[in-house]
Amino acid sequence: MERTREPVIQVKNLYKIFRVGSSKVRALNGVDLTIYRGEFCAIVGTSGSGKSTMLNMLAGLEKPTKGEVIISGQHLEKMNENQLVRFRREKVGFIFQSFNLLGTMNAIENVALPLTFRGMNKKTREEKAVKMLKLVGLSKHMKHRPNEMSGGQQQRVGVARALVLDPEIIFADEPTGNLDSNTSAEVLRLMRKVVQEQNQTLVMVTHDNHLAGFADRIFHIIDGKIVKIEEHSEHKEDEE
Amino acid sequence: MRILDLFRMSSSNLLRRKLRTFLTVLGVVIGTASIVVMISLGLGLRKSTLDQIEQYGGLTTINVYSNDYYGSSSSDDETKRLSDEVVEEIAQIPHVELVSPKLSIYVMAKQGVYEGNFQIYGMTAEALRRMDIKIGQGELPPADGGLQLFYGNQILTNFYNAKKGEYYWETGVLPDVDLMNDPVFIIFDTDAYWQSKNNDGSGQTTLPPKKYIIPTSGLMEGSLEDYSENAYSVFADIDALKAQLKKVFKNKVIPGQPQTKSGKPYKELYYNELYIRVDNMDNVQAVQQEIKNMGYEASSNAEWMEQMQTQMGTIQMVLGGIGAVSLFVAAIGIANTMMMSIYERTKEIGVIKVLGCDMGNIRTMFLMEAGFIGLFGGIIGLILSYGISVVINVVAKDYYQGISYIPLWLVLISLVFAVFVGMAAGFFPALRAMKLSPLAAIRNE
Repeated sequence: MERTREPVIQVKNLYKIFRVGSSKVRALNGVDLTIYRGEFCAIVGTSGSGKSTMLNMLAGLEKPTKGEVIISGQHLEKMNENQLVRFRREKVGFIFQSFNLLGTMNAIENVALPLTFRGMNKKTREEKAVKMLKLVGLSKHMKHRPNEMSGGQQQRVGVARALVLDPEIIFADEPTGNLDSNTSAEVLRLMRKVVQEQNQTLVMVTHDNHLAGFADRIFHIIDGKIVKIEEHSEHKEDEE
Repeated sequence: MRILDLFRMSSSNLLRRKLRTFLTVLGVVIGTASIVVMISLGLGLRKSTLDQIEQYGGLTTINVYSNDYYGSSSSDDETKRLSDEVVEEIAQIPHVELVSPKLSIYVMAKQGVYEGNFQIYGMTAEALRRMDIKIGQGELPPADGGLQLFYGNQILTNFYNAKKGEYYWETGVLPDVDLMNDPVFIIFDTDAYWQSKNNDGSGQTTLPPKKYIIPTSGLMEGSLEDYSENAYSVFADIDALKAQLKKVFKNKVIPGQPQTKSGKPYKELYYNELYIRVDNMDNVQAVQQEIKNMGYEASSNAEWMEQMQTQMGTIQMVLGGIGAVSLFVAAIGIANTMMMSIYERTKEIGVIKVLGCDMGNIRTMFLMEAGFIGLFGGIIGLILSYGISVVINVVAKDYYQGISYIPLWLVLISLVFAVFVGMAAGFFPALRAMKLSPLAAIRNE
């Protein structure tokens, strides 16, 4: 990785403490990390390790107890909820484990949804959505509703929806958690390809070390602390 | 987010749950219809009462009488008589649009074998025009061209067959009198007439008074059964009537007029009554009071009307209240539906929040849904109300004309109100939706 390394995400001394009854649970216990533009990072940990909390902090869905989250120069911990929503609308794409497509809308409408929130007119946003769906290889399923598609297809729609905004950062929360291994690999390769083409940053949370292997860098998180950072300078596509 | 997209999303959410939306809308339909029908009944009742009052003398009319009743010469207090001076004075009172003297005289009319007794009212041409008299034939008495009479539509019942002594009341047979085309003889000096009839042979014969042919200017519209305030009246132009009376009675005292102590008539003719129109029915009482303060008797329908107004107000409030209860129940229904919908869509709301939908947009979306329920309920409710209103009017036709009456303002207000109720009911659910945590979306069940 010899290109100019511009930090997109900086996390400094981040704590998140939940109160469960009288006891405190330290979901994040002093995390520092930096993610650079164009990187594909994976955050790996077992369930309860704090990896999901980490992602929520990065996407501005949860407030940290202490510490700083700086994303492309903006301090998330200082924003109110309205500002966070605007931040997500403008900077962030999100891929969910359970796809979370809206059942009443077809593929195009689902993909165009984030553009709707930006106030884009129907024609432009549907053109963009169609383009994106072609990119993820769903040209034949444009008018299908989510319940008329397989899991893999649904997740492709999910990917298209995250990418249509042309976001700086894409967060993926166990994106292949509900898919079989073949489809998982396919979706991951797709994500990787698209992100590399557009020089976007992808942050993925998973518990699966094998899937994490697709990433450039892997953060291992245990009990709210980053214990190991793995670098894959040259990515091997040996999964087939 | 564009307003059109918000619109689209909230309406598609409503269409998604057709049955539930339908039931909620139905609640609003019933609520709106009951309010509108109830208020329409109140309005119809009020309208028919006002019409009734109008029939009995108008809403803005004041009649002024002298304290000095019918030519009682005992009173020396000349200033209290209704003279031209008083007419001028009353015309100066604010809100008074029109003052007309009303000079009345009992006369006898003859045509063929028929005789009739009635009063002729002399008024100014303008007052006659303003009295909303419906003209059936001819015209109102003209201001120039001598004395002409305008007859009320029920005046014919005052005629009787003098030879046979048959009265319309007894026989029900319409007197064969054509006021419009055949000449009518009028006897002004009725005292002399009766005296000449009752000659008792004592030698002192009184000559029968002169009869005058008075042309008819017109007849009031309506059949013999249509009662209205002036159905039994006969009108003439005041100046023409005055001139005629002076000609007939010369130096004698005109019946109904005061006389000096020596039994001589005054130079001026005094009026029995003044007819006053006020610009607005709200000002009637004030003007009436002012005239009373001047020392005259004044009567109007104001007190009756005020009493009616408060009564109608109470009835309307009771009726509207009954309707409001059902709309209130409908509002609870809307709130319930919206809450249910939010619980069902927790995840979806979370997702759109993660995807960057503005909090304000989420709130607007839910408010719109609730507003739509109100709007559709309101529209259908109004259509239903019109139907019910027509049915009520048909059923109650024999007792009341137009007992249920829906004016345009009621339509608009009830629509706005239905939408408002819907949105008010949806307000707290919408706030709740807005505040839902986006984390709900990523929590994996």
